[in-house]
Amino acid sequence: MTLALILAVAAALALVFILSVTVSRSLQITHGVSLAARIQPIDVEAFRNLIDPAEDEFLRRRLTAGEFRRVRRQRLHAMAAYVQTAGRNAAVLILLAQDALTAGDPQTVDAARRLVDHALLLRRNAAFVLFRIYLALAWPNSGLAPVSILRSYEQLNGSAMLLGRLQNPTAPVRISVTS
Amino acid sequence: MLQAHSLLWHYLWVAPNVLLFVLAFVLWKRGLGKRFRILFVFAILSAVSELAVYLADVTPWVTPKLFWRIDWASVLIEGTLKFVLIGEIFAQVFGSYGSLARLGKLLIRAIGVVLVLTAAVAAAYAPQDSLFGIVSGAHLLEQTTYLIECGLLVFIFLFAAYFRLRPARLVFGIALGLAISACVHLATWGIAANGGLPPSRRVILDFLNMGTYHVSVLLWFYYVLVPGPAPVHAAMPLPENNLDVWNRELERLVHQ
Repeated sequence: MTLALILAVAAALALVFILSVTVSRSLQITHGVSLAARIQPIDVEAFRNLIDPAEDEFLRRRLTAGEFRRVRRQRLHAMAAYVQTAGRNAAVLILLAQDALTAGDPQTVDAARRLVDHALLLRRNAAFVLFRIYLALAWPNSGLAPVSILRSYEQLNGSAMLLGRLQNPTAPVRISVTS
Repeated sequence: MLQAHSLLWHYLWVAPNVLLFVLAFVLWKRGLGKRFRILFVFAILSAVSELAVYLADVTPWVTPKLFWRIDWASVLIEGTLKFVLIGEIFAQVFGSYGSLARLGKLLIRAIGVVLVLTAAVAAAYAPQDSLFGIVSGAHLLEQTTYLIECGLLVFIFLFAAYFRLRPARLVFGIALGLAISACVHLATWGIAANGGLPPSRRVILDFLNMGTYHVSVLLWFYYVLVPGPAPVHAAMPLPENNLDVWNRELERLVHQ
């Protein structure tokens, strides 16, 4: 009887999840045009500074062990915030690029396909890096250099810019800001 | 009304399977039979095997033992076809994205192994719900296949949702119909196989299963026959850009 209840509840939860995905899919299609406004530009230089191992080494030498752990945790929290934003931006770009995949112009379709690939890679890396950051939060003395996500983000920048130019030459995409 | 061999009972068992033959014909007529070959084969073979079980149920000379043997064969055929169909859905959703395909394959294999083990444990702990092993075995087989099927479909939906992928309309429709049917069947067979309802009231579960399957088949019809909204290619309202400068600067920083 307990097993019957567990299976019934699990099946109900799965059904609710699948139906919610279906509803959100139709909402995404309806509000597709306002997607670009959801992109939050990222200060890549500040992020680069945060992930610089030399900075960490400098802090390790200058601070006591306790102070270093506290500062390191603060830096890791900031890093996580950047990575989450990068991941969210990638998600928005995936949606925008998928819309562009149905365009008639082959050049735009090609740029959109490249953008989807780069954005998917970034979103995947963002998940891995976030996992590593949360692990590092538990052990602040361990090393962490999420360089792969920065490289992905730069690739994404280029792809988004190209697609934006092809679709609207006067106002391409901007996913980074100057500090 | 909600009794075995009532008019509604006959309708709910036969109609979805007749509709599946029509669906296969529509797929073939619209030239979708090649692109969705597995769905095409599934529609025909699943309808044939379900109708065979129905005929075995209503034919007087078929013994209970023979009926359950036919039911076992039908569950095995349909289960296999559904897993192949899920594989097809997975390939259609993620196959064209090189950056995801490898990770997706790795994850779905790992999840498949976990689901098989979970289903085996669930079957091992299930009480015998019938005096006859062939009957309770068929119930457990249904529970096992739907548990794995439901888990795989939830994974596909979850993975696609995390990466904000929007599968093609028809692929999404097939997955949705299959998932709704799998979730409801998992719940009902879970209850049936684990003694959640007395045998006299299990006919309610049959109606729920048949009704849900009917809805799923109608859903597939909807996605095959009704075209989606035309894509809008309006210029995106994108903010201004200084990425040229930024990219050059970042390139310099990456390679320094």
